[in-house]
Amino acid sequence: MTTRTVPSGRVAPDWLVQSEVGLCPCGCIGKRKKGSFLAKTLDGASHLLRQAMSSEDVAGQPGLLQRLDARVKLVTLVGLLVVAAFVRTIPVLIGVYALTIVLAWASRLSIAFFVKRVWLFVPIFTGIVVLPATLNLITPGTIVVPLGTWFGHQLGVTSEGLHGAAIIVMRVAVSISLVVLLTLTTPWNRLLAGLRALFVPKMFVLVLGMAYRYLFYLLGSVSDMYTARKSRTVRTDTEVASGRRFVAASAGALFGKAHAMSEEVYLAMVSRGYNGDTRTLRPARLSGLDGLWVAACLGLGLLVIGCDRAFG
Amino acid sequence: MPSDEPAREAAIDGAAPPPPRAADAVLECRDLHHRYLGRFPALAGVDLTVARGERVALLGANGCGKSTLLKVLDGLLFADRGSYQAFGQAVTEDHLEDEQFSRGFRSRIGFIFQNSDAQVFSPTVRDELAFGPLNMGLAQESVEARVADTLAMLEIEELADRAPYQLSGGQKKRVAIASVLVMNPEVLLFDEPTAALDPRTQQWLMELIVELGRAGKTIVLATHDLDSLHLLADRCQVFGEDHTILAEGRPGDVLGDRELLLAANLVHDHPHLHASEVPHHRHVHDAGHHHAPPG
Repeated sequence: MTTRTVPSGRVAPDWLVQSEVGLCPCGCIGKRKKGSFLAKTLDGASHLLRQAMSSEDVAGQPGLLQRLDARVKLVTLVGLLVVAAFVRTIPVLIGVYALTIVLAWASRLSIAFFVKRVWLFVPIFTGIVVLPATLNLITPGTIVVPLGTWFGHQLGVTSEGLHGAAIIVMRVAVSISLVVLLTLTTPWNRLLAGLRALFVPKMFVLVLGMAYRYLFYLLGSVSDMYTARKSRTVRTDTEVASGRRFVAASAGALFGKAHAMSEEVYLAMVSRGYNGDTRTLRPARLSGLDGLWVAACLGLGLLVIGCDRAFG
Repeated sequence: MPSDEPAREAAIDGAAPPPPRAADAVLECRDLHHRYLGRFPALAGVDLTVARGERVALLGANGCGKSTLLKVLDGLLFADRGSYQAFGQAVTEDHLEDEQFSRGFRSRIGFIFQNSDAQVFSPTVRDELAFGPLNMGLAQESVEARVADTLAMLEIEELADRAPYQLSGGQKKRVAIASVLVMNPEVLLFDEPTAALDPRTQQWLMELIVELGRAGKTIVLATHDLDSLHLLADRCQVFGEDHTILAEGRPGDVLGDRELLLAANLVHDHPHLHASEVPHHRHVHDAGHHHAPPG
């Protein structure tokens, strides 16, 4: 190997002081390939980070639900979820759903985003499940959409089946809307603190909060590791086997990193007097608005149940 | 703080500071030895005495034992051999199991870690600041008042309800410092305080350390940043790469001793290229990479 002495006295191999040919000198463009599963997964991870950041921004806006105490919101919205689960008439469920849209508007959420977020999941999780229940094989009744015959029996969608499916779909839509309202208008840290109102132990809330906090730290580390690999990947990165090797190696590295970090975090806690007892700041006092909201939710719950009885 | 005034005045006058008297000493280490996993040496016979109100810089290259010594001073790590006394009492694993001793010790010594991510672990900045005072057993009202005052003092009120992952590196450092200052410790330990910070945050932090020193806090900081040494420290302890103390002295004396700095791997000395010529003489680069003739 040819060597050359550089000013520092170290010896550099000849190839290191020559430039490499990068792109084809004729300037032609190569064949395009789609990214690997790895790239897509990590893109998803960074998207999750961005989404968490933006949802914290939304939760910080001065809307109606944002002004409520997290504990009050958590308890009342769980209460409304239970009420929605008991409703058996479609018009009442549609009315409650419309109310969630009004609340989203009053909380300065984008209505299009809110509706899309709810209705994206409803067909996936509920539609597929309730579809068979609309058939006369599962729910006997008047066939409104005939689908032919099956082993000599008439097959079709019944009006009773459609009614039952519509109730389930609307119930799920209302439930998801309430959960989305809660999560979009409450920062995660307050939501976790609010869990104490549901008698979740302090230590559990503390561990959950720290897990959520360091999830972002580790996600950042994964992204950095992948970016470092990508910056040194010359060929198109679509090989599944090498992707799997990277995932295994980075999982190991991440485990080590998480372990080292956990030790340092523990030392930082001990340094500030932690001795195993969990002490937290007393939650803020409830405001008049919180009281009004509780009263409104109680009234709404009773009204919904009353209307359901009247229509049913 | 009357006890540290002679030392500070002597440093300003240019005279050598008097060595700390045993009566003034708040931290006193004798012949500390420590090996990680029983194999990797970190401290090899380190002596250190820190007087009340004094600002001591631990200088040394990476891996020489500065951070290990700070962890020993904070009672997070225990030496394999040697003794350590804080405020006149021996600090041992056994003594720290005593709840009263532990609470007193932890409230009097605060440690600002190099990695702010490890120190800022609570869901919000407000919770982070409240963590220490709550563990000290202060009443809720008192904790809330202290948190509000500290947020205002470090001008981070707008960060109070933010989550740590929403903060920049500089903001995390401010929160980490606030989370320790809120406990009002007598002694502050800083591990590489200015590392990986932008120039403005570095300047802010240096000014804060100077102000804390003026307010009478005892400060021990580990660093290899020589540029700001004269501002931050009254006295320096120079670590060698063999994990022993090579020298002790005023910042001016230490910075003036090129042979000592070279031996401690705090500056480097090498021939280098000027345009296309390799000069025959040698140059010394100091921490700021200002070329200077060898001393």
